[in-house]
Amino acid sequence: MTMYAFYGALEQGFAYGLMVLGVYLTFRILDFPDLTVDGSLPLGASVSAVAITAGYSPVVAILMASGAGFLAGMVTGILNTKLRILHLLASILTMIALYSVNLRIMGKPNVTLLGQDTIVDWFTQFSGLPQYLSTPVLFCAICAVAAVVLVWFLHTEIGLALLATGDNPQMITSQGVNTHTVIIFGVGLSNAMVACSGALVAQNQGAADVNMGVGSIVAGLASVIIGETVFGDKTIFRAILAALLGSVLYRVAIALALGLKLGAFSITPSDLNLITALLVVIALTAPTMKQKFFSKGSAA
Amino acid sequence: MKKLGLIILAIVLFATPALCSEKTYTISVNQIVEHPALDALRQGFMDSLKEQGIKAEYNVHIAQGNAATNTQIASQILGEQPDLVLAISTSSAQVVAQKVKDRPILFTGVTDPVTAGLVKSLENPGANVSGMTDMSPMKKHVELIREILPSVKSIGVIYNSGEPNSIVLVNLLKKYSSEQDIGVVEGTIANSSGVYQAAKSLVGRADVIYVPTDNTVVSAIESAVKVCNQNHIPLIAGDVDSVKRGAVAALAVDYYLMGRQTGEMGGRVLRDGMKPADMPVESSKQLRLYINKKSSKSMGVKLPDSVISRADKIIE
Amino acid sequence: MSGQIVIQKAFKAFNRGSVNEVKAINGIDLTINDGDFITIIGSNGAGKSTFLNALAGSFFLDSGSIIMGGEDVTTWPEHKRAAKIGRVFQDPLLGTCAGATIEQNMALAKKRGKSRGLGLGVKGRDRAYFRENLAQLGLGLEDRLRTATGLLSGGQRQALTMLMATMVRPELLLLDEHTAALDPKTAQMILELTQEMVEQQNLTALMVTHNMNQAINLGNRLVMFHRGRVVLDIAGEEKQDLKVEDLLQRFAELRGDEELSDRMLLC
Repeated sequence: MTMYAFYGALEQGFAYGLMVLGVYLTFRILDFPDLTVDGSLPLGASVSAVAITAGYSPVVAILMASGAGFLAGMVTGILNTKLRILHLLASILTMIALYSVNLRIMGKPNVTLLGQDTIVDWFTQFSGLPQYLSTPVLFCAICAVAAVVLVWFLHTEIGLALLATGDNPQMITSQGVNTHTVIIFGVGLSNAMVACSGALVAQNQGAADVNMGVGSIVAGLASVIIGETVFGDKTIFRAILAALLGSVLYRVAIALALGLKLGAFSITPSDLNLITALLVVIALTAPTMKQKFFSKGSAA
Repeated sequence: MKKLGLIILAIVLFATPALCSEKTYTISVNQIVEHPALDALRQGFMDSLKEQGIKAEYNVHIAQGNAATNTQIASQILGEQPDLVLAISTSSAQVVAQKVKDRPILFTGVTDPVTAGLVKSLENPGANVSGMTDMSPMKKHVELIREILPSVKSIGVIYNSGEPNSIVLVNLLKKYSSEQDIGVVEGTIANSSGVYQAAKSLVGRADVIYVPTDNTVVSAIESAVKVCNQNHIPLIAGDVDSVKRGAVAALAVDYYLMGRQTGEMGGRVLRDGMKPADMPVESSKQLRLYINKKSSKSMGVKLPDSVISRADKIIE
Repeated sequence: MSGQIVIQKAFKAFNRGSVNEVKAINGIDLTINDGDFITIIGSNGAGKSTFLNALAGSFFLDSGSIIMGGEDVTTWPEHKRAAKIGRVFQDPLLGTCAGATIEQNMALAKKRGKSRGLGLGVKGRDRAYFRENLAQLGLGLEDRLRTATGLLSGGQRQALTMLMATMVRPELLLLDEHTAALDPKTAQMILELTQEMVEQQNLTALMVTHNMNQAINLGNRLVMFHRGRVVLDIAGEEKQDLKVEDLLQRFAELRGDEELSDRMLLC
């Protein structure tokens, strides 16, 4: 693997890092399987692309994208809590609807950012580093800030209530917390991060495309699993760090595979789909395995 | 043993330069997905360079339709430090143009390079990117439709509303149709499984059904053929492969030839040192007319002699 | 603060209109006085747990009203009523968050009924307070503040739940067969803890139990449910003089030739 490919993997890992954090927040912390991700990633991309093309600064565009993502997450949350639609189904509904919404926002299926001033351009100028270095540094910095804020938040009173909602909704309800509000906020927050990630990815690849979100949830879960397996999740801080590093490792694995040629045999990107799918199966069954194993040990 | 190894190594190192009399160029290829048309483009390009006597080592990357892999490939290509980058399809070209600023890039199989941001204008690309567009000669398609069915009042078009190239084509279709006082009705799909439904929705509303060069629709063209056969509506396509599969006629770009033409552009870059900025975007010089006599019978349309005599290929 | 808790003309049926309709609460009028410790008994399906859930707000009554401390809580959702109510469940794992530490659980309970903000969840100054409370349990938990409750035994978690239910003084403490899932020794420990806490803090409590001895020995008032109604309500001296046989006879009368449950005979 060349140096460029490695830095490329780093930049991808951190560009999608916020998406992985969002997936971690819903899947692991809130215990809410959320497929909205496949729609909110391109939502963030389209909102930011349209905003930048309209003349807004890249930073403002990213904030607008995050806001849009938050709203999308709220919709899923409301469908689940108020309309009592199963969380998985609610998120799929929102995801499907977002396809049309994204087309409307962009007016067409693809909005190019080539030739526009993106946050990458701004930071490259500011730092003086060559683009292949400045991009991963920038995205890493953004992820670091997000991680710190998230860790801090989860230690606050509200954050603690959020953790409890995912862990034991009956308990936290009897302690006076409205789980509906928590879920709506939590899923909103998660998708705000995903949309932010989408905005970064679009600025990295030079275009926002209505189909760019397909398979995000799979990549997100795979990244979470890799992170947990390799780095562990004993404390909140560790878990969040693990998610980010998992995202990077996942993209590094792809980069390795792309460069791999052993005589006649080579792993093609389509093999990675199978590997990713296997990882997702582990992600979804690990909690039940844990529970089965665990409850045997703690009965009175 | 070690000594023997060193001697062999020395021989190889000294001999190799002697064996290489010409320069071997490194060409990195980024292709979004495996597809007959895109593969034909690549093959045509490679064959053309070979025939021009240009030696090249190819790094071919297929993104398997995945946007993230596509971006990764662009970073990979940076590391390969190629003499020329060949990008096959719009998204492949966009991501390479974003990442590779200091090497010549040639795109092919892109319908609208200007809207995609790849070039400033077709005549003056402006940066390190140029190439070939496969924009269908829509005006000629409308004329062909008129020729086959002079009484046509309304053209039904099936396309994927999520595909930017198709939107460009449909807008052109509307433009040239209105110039001929022909109306256009749309049947949009989101994926290949919707083609049958879309075709059915056009029955009774269109005299002719047209399928542009839209990968999603073309992959399921048989569904449209079925509907057209059942309802005696002629089906005109934007690509020649579809005629083999049941469309009545198509006047189209031959992707292999287009690939060859791209190879000629490539030769000018590598051997003559031309810069893409100075190379206007080219479109296919040769169009081919394919017709399908069997389909014309089952769809209830009589092909005029003028069309039959002009045809490059007739399928019975 | 506290006051009377009055339930009037309460009705609740599940699966209404279908073949499976169950009239779980079928006309209950009950007044709970400040400081009452009521034990609730009844056969299976009599509506005891349903009654507690109705008070907690797990569902809304079909008709009737619930007044707590002068406020009409009939239409209050569960999380809103939680400000007034402390709950201990039959499942010892249900009252605490397995993934959170002891101090985190207690911090959550300390905020029951209060609004939560962006201040630190577990505050340094609260730790001493938590330790003090935990020490009273005599289980050594005060040294394990940073242990995840998922690692504790059921009995320890139930004891913790009891502490958490009373950390913010509740107007009503609901105990729903809270020793039923514990082994005899641990059950006894929890029962003693219950009695201690209720007495020390002068709490108003309802305790559902299948154990006749428990029902007779604890509390100042005993209520028997049958088929969604209150059929026996004994307090004071009359309760103290009660014997297990009296209750069993009452059960038999109610159910005619229905079989008595094994559970009750074995207590």
